[in-house]
Amino acid sequence: MRTRLLKLTFIVLFVFTAGCSDRMDIEDVTIPLLTGYDLDQHDRLLTYTKIPVFSKDAKKKSHEIGVVSRTLRESRQREDEYAPGLFQGRKILVVLLSKRLLQHENWFTLMDVYFRDAKNSITSRIAMYDGPLSEVIYLNPADQPFLPILLRGMIETKSRRSETVKTSMQELHRQMLEKGITPYIAEIMLENQEVKLKGSALLDHQGRYVLSLGYQETVLLQILQNQADKPASLTLSIPGEPKHGLLHLNKLSFNTGKTKTKIKTAYRQGKFRFDLNVDMSIWLTERLFPYDMRKKRKELENTIAGQMQKEFETLIGKIKRKRIDPFGFGLNARAYEYNAFKKAEDRWGEVFGESDIHVQVQVKIGSKGAMR
Amino acid sequence: MKKYAYNEITFLQFVFIINNMTVSIGFLALPRVLAEQAGTDGWITLILGWLLTVAASLIVVQVMKRCPDGTLLDLLTRLWGKWAGKAGAVLLALYFFYYGYVGLVYTILILKTWLLPMTPAYLIMLLLLIPTYMITRNGVRILGRYAELILFISLWIPFVYMLPLKEVNWLYLLPVLKEGWKPILTGVPTLFYYNIGFATTFILYPLLKDKRKASAALTLSSTLTMLSYLFVTLACFVYFSPDEITEFNEPGIFVLKAIEFKYIERIEVTFIAFYLLIFSMSWIPLMYLTSYCTSWMARKQDHRSHLRVVMLLLGIGTFFFMPTDDQSDLMAEILGHIGFGLEYIFPVCFLLFLWVYDYVKRRVSL
Repeated sequence: MRTRLLKLTFIVLFVFTAGCSDRMDIEDVTIPLLTGYDLDQHDRLLTYTKIPVFSKDAKKKSHEIGVVSRTLRESRQREDEYAPGLFQGRKILVVLLSKRLLQHENWFTLMDVYFRDAKNSITSRIAMYDGPLSEVIYLNPADQPFLPILLRGMIETKSRRSETVKTSMQELHRQMLEKGITPYIAEIMLENQEVKLKGSALLDHQGRYVLSLGYQETVLLQILQNQADKPASLTLSIPGEPKHGLLHLNKLSFNTGKTKTKIKTAYRQGKFRFDLNVDMSIWLTERLFPYDMRKKRKELENTIAGQMQKEFETLIGKIKRKRIDPFGFGLNARAYEYNAFKKAEDRWGEVFGESDIHVQVQVKIGSKGAMR
Repeated sequence: MKKYAYNEITFLQFVFIINNMTVSIGFLALPRVLAEQAGTDGWITLILGWLLTVAASLIVVQVMKRCPDGTLLDLLTRLWGKWAGKAGAVLLALYFFYYGYVGLVYTILILKTWLLPMTPAYLIMLLLLIPTYMITRNGVRILGRYAELILFISLWIPFVYMLPLKEVNWLYLLPVLKEGWKPILTGVPTLFYYNIGFATTFILYPLLKDKRKASAALTLSSTLTMLSYLFVTLACFVYFSPDEITEFNEPGIFVLKAIEFKYIERIEVTFIAFYLLIFSMSWIPLMYLTSYCTSWMARKQDHRSHLRVVMLLLGIGTFFFMPTDDQSDLMAEILGHIGFGLEYIFPVCFLLFLWVYDYVKRRVSL
């Protein structure tokens, strides 16, 4: 009797409690690896996706879809109409945004679906493209890898050398909401019909595009953010060394080793003041002019420090004029001058633009390389 | 003769049952709650709440010392007679049932959000109830062993939270006491919900092997609770900006969501599937205690028949009604209030009463 009851219970449970409602066969799934968001001439939201095609018969191994919609989730339904399976947002590697979209404030609100729908990935990298997105999406150059893979690889490897920024969806969320910092994302461009990484694009508090930085400036930015912990390569001109005709023989390149930026924050007479002390240990990788390193090593260190300081100051001046703070000095302001920051936090970019920033650079040549 | 000799639990089992039960439902959402209340100073609130909890649990032990061989229900019976005991049993059974139900509902909602959005709630409930019944029917000793097992296989969790350590910013925590003490103090009451659970001592006390160590056990368990809360809170506070952390329901899950390995993404999915084991501690002991209380009332030694009724009730009930996430939040809030009354206020009043009672009795007998 007892065993029979037990058996019956088991059968009932087997039949009625099969938890397969969430099953999803891989044949029924369409996996976009890249999505792009743009606005058309009538300011309607355009969504592009790039999907790898796993089919023997298909000549082209990727499929591009572009649809017009009002929201991102709605665009998924429109895209489903073109694809054999159901869209799954969990494998998106890169999210491309057009500059046109980034000129509208509060565009970031559109990204809500990435966070609210728990099935979406929030580790996709964000990049901006200057121009209509259709140019890149439908490009499919014969000699470059599949675009999502190409972009992801570009951003991963170059950010390791601080030449671009690795801003993921989660990171962007933090930068958008944090009042003491303005967002920064990677930027790509098209040159001679080839996709190319440009550096980084800086946005303001509302997410509007403000400024682009080249690769060397991006390195400098990340040194000041104290995030350049992996070696980065820089090339400088050394004043006083002659230029030989067309060749730039007054150049010197080095890799940064350990760089440490100390920030002192003060608030005096209604103004913030940041004293930055950049401590760099470098090793030379290239020197195009003769130099007596044994005697004048200290001198060279000071010259490099002076040049670096100039570069930093130019960059800071350029950014301050735009009333943004991608460095995140606002975090220091909040931590050490809380009351003053609290009053300024809603217009931090402006307040930061009026602050005084002083940079001091110390350079130590750790090694001059394999040559004398 | 000891009534509960066959079902004793050790010191550590006692600690782990209470600690797991308390931590399980609070761990993931607590950082957000603290940030809402006291900003990044929320961790100070946590320490204050811990002090209060230790004090309250020591009082519970003082109460239970009056009746080392029986539960609170036996004590009530001895003081005021049979009906007081029965009334106490009903109230405690309701409390434990509600507590366990809140835990179950929360677990199901988390599962539905993160893992099984399409699966109907009653199905998840049924699937959760099967192992619950298998563990609970065997009584407290198995429960204690289960709690031990859960704690030991969860020891890797702190290491996962250390993975994003290189992306954190310690500046978020500064300045300490940014808005003064007021928000920190006003945040303390919300913490009661996240610290209740030690009232199980009312029932478990006679089962504890070495009763002299009861105070130490409760102190240890609330300290463990505090440390795990402090850990996850600090991990979230330095990872998220103070301006964004209140946007997430469970910051504890979002921290893991951003972890990337080369070949595995969405770590949080594996994590939640595993965390289910810890969640299970928020209802398994309570379902046992519920059926214990009702069987005590019916003067039955075997709690299993009552347990079956409770399980059946839950399974069928969920088929007809499943709370939404807002209702679940509300239920948790109400549980916080009831728990505050039963676990913090009631023991103090009861202890005062016992003192007065003893005093009067002594005077009369003189």
